[in-house]
Amino acid sequence: MRKVVVTGLGFVTSIGNDKATVIDSLCHMKHGIEIFPPFKKDDIPVKLAAPIKGFNTESMDSEDWTYPIQYKLRLDTLRGLSPHGLYAYCAMVQAIQDAGLSEDEISNPKTGLFTASSGSVFMTYNHLNRMFKVGVLRASPQGIISSIVGTLNFNLVAAFKIKGASSGFASACSSSGHALGYAYDEISLGRHDRMFVVGGEDGNFLSIMPFAGMRVLTLSSDPDRASRPFDKNRNGFVGTGGAVVMILEEESIARKRNAEIYAEFTGWGQASDGYHVALSHPEGNGLIQSMERALGSVKLGPKSIDYINAHAPSTLAGDLSEMRALKKVFNKNNSKPAISSTKALTGHALSLASIMEASFSVLAIKENFMPGSAHIETLDPEAKGLNIIKKTLDKTPKHAMSNSSGFGGSNVSLIFSDPEH
Amino acid sequence: MELKKSLAFTPHLEDELRESLKRCSPETVEAALSFRQHGNFDGIPVIVMGIIERFLEPDVRHLLREGNDDTRLFEDLGVDSLLMVEIIILVEETLDISIANDELRDIRSVGDIKIYLDYKVKGIPIPKQNKQLTVEEIASVMPHQDPFLFIRESKISLNEAESLYSITGDEFFIDGHFKNNPVFPASILIEALGQLAVLYLIRNEKPEFEQPIDTSKVMFASCDGVRCHRVCRPGDVLKLKVKLKRIRYPLVTFEGTITVGDEKAVFAEDITLTFDYES
Repeated sequence: MRKVVVTGLGFVTSIGNDKATVIDSLCHMKHGIEIFPPFKKDDIPVKLAAPIKGFNTESMDSEDWTYPIQYKLRLDTLRGLSPHGLYAYCAMVQAIQDAGLSEDEISNPKTGLFTASSGSVFMTYNHLNRMFKVGVLRASPQGIISSIVGTLNFNLVAAFKIKGASSGFASACSSSGHALGYAYDEISLGRHDRMFVVGGEDGNFLSIMPFAGMRVLTLSSDPDRASRPFDKNRNGFVGTGGAVVMILEEESIARKRNAEIYAEFTGWGQASDGYHVALSHPEGNGLIQSMERALGSVKLGPKSIDYINAHAPSTLAGDLSEMRALKKVFNKNNSKPAISSTKALTGHALSLASIMEASFSVLAIKENFMPGSAHIETLDPEAKGLNIIKKTLDKTPKHAMSNSSGFGGSNVSLIFSDPEH
Repeated sequence: MELKKSLAFTPHLEDELRESLKRCSPETVEAALSFRQHGNFDGIPVIVMGIIERFLEPDVRHLLREGNDDTRLFEDLGVDSLLMVEIIILVEETLDISIANDELRDIRSVGDIKIYLDYKVKGIPIPKQNKQLTVEEIASVMPHQDPFLFIRESKISLNEAESLYSITGDEFFIDGHFKNNPVFPASILIEALGQLAVLYLIRNEKPEFEQPIDTSKVMFASCDGVRCHRVCRPGDVLKLKVKLKRIRYPLVTFEGTITVGDEKAVFAEDITLTFDYES
């Protein structure tokens, strides 16, 4: 099997729009959560979100948007984008620069692009409103391509002239984990030499607020304590958006071009709960299976894992089932990996969450730290026996696992390792 | 497309119009307001060109401003079919009109747009563009016949005609022009352009020609500013083109060019024919 390595990262997240800021936020546990102006209404009890700073994508007309000046977008690129399409474009530019890829390497039949996003409800809503107002023949011709699930691949493939595989993955909050896993397969099976993997979410009113109806958003108005996975008093997640890009390459090809290697992507596993449309299995059955499959794929025992970036979104049910699953897999053999949920800092990024947290795990290996699980005041008794780290540690994980769970009980576990392990 | 003066152009509609034209030039906005408030049709080209310009990448906008009729919408300006729809929607909104899809099928260049608008404003039906004629069709309508017909498959558009002719070397005059040195005569090159002008004259759909042309009354009148740039020989494929310059009954004047591959072969500033209508 061919080895897969990570050679480039790009970030537009609530805790930083470049790698250096993201590392700083993770090391110093700085969160990106604030009172979100669009929620400032008396009849909206949800007050917080973790918005993207330095961008303004409030208008449905993308030509009104503002974004950091280092990014230059042509009108024909900008026109078909959703807000998260813009974030993803910027993260692509960063990742390409980070990996030092040439145009030939980007636009190449052996270079593909997998994406994960839930589409843009914001664009759908506004375009449909316009269609009802002005008539079907005057609806914007960009309405579909900027809105539907797949909008990320359509736009990025065209903008970056991608010639290999292109596809999108939709499994709610494990979507970008699936995109990473299947991109890994493409390279390890020899079908591609290089894959861009992109996750994105708008993170605006329309992408976050529909979760209020499921009663899974926190009603806290204290940005410094609202998102607190594993805390006994956690009461829901804080929504966020943005985009993260990870570049995967076959190891020998990456080494030949002297690429800087962040980590090896050593393997992955997935499994479903077969239980409920939204709730995760109370004992975390699907997640147990997915973690065991991931460990099996890299032929490592649970003891080898030093750090786990948990899915734990700060919801009552979600955190609970994951804690139970973690205990089931790791407490035998007395293994005690450090565990944290970086959603305490970033908020929950839905389809983007898995790749964002996988990237944090990759940064942890490269930059020698384990990000802490912020905002825990009273640890949930269920966490007894788990090594949940409340502060960032100056320790290098040799093998890190990143978990994600989505609606329908879809679970993905990804393992990244020190390239010299 | 129905042009009509909007009866109730309220301040609210004016605000909406200004908002939807906010990225257009001030002239465009003024022309649009003048059209909507006073039914002033003169500004329509300014409005339409201003709307197109607003959607173009900044680095190609000058091409539209230069106004060259041959500038191609897709290849030169980057207007793809989706962008064309956006442009149309904004034109429709601005002029308070509807444009049917099939009216736009033949619009490929800046010149096509100007023609389209010109006809629309005058309320004349848009002539069919880009008519293709086979060798057989040409032979059946032309007064010229082999061995003295020097145009083959041709395309007639509203204001121009194009044709191809491959020099075979079997033309009856080649043996004597010149001895052991076959060169296609320059006079015959001009003759070929003249024949293409005749074909245009008898097959175009330009409404300015009020009645059918009597083919027996079409004659060569004059030719000016002829320059030959390249010797043409057997094996060369001549690409002939005549462009209508003016119609002043009973005279009609064209500009003619012949190219071989990418090389310019002949340029004729004026080729003028006399014509008359069927009586």
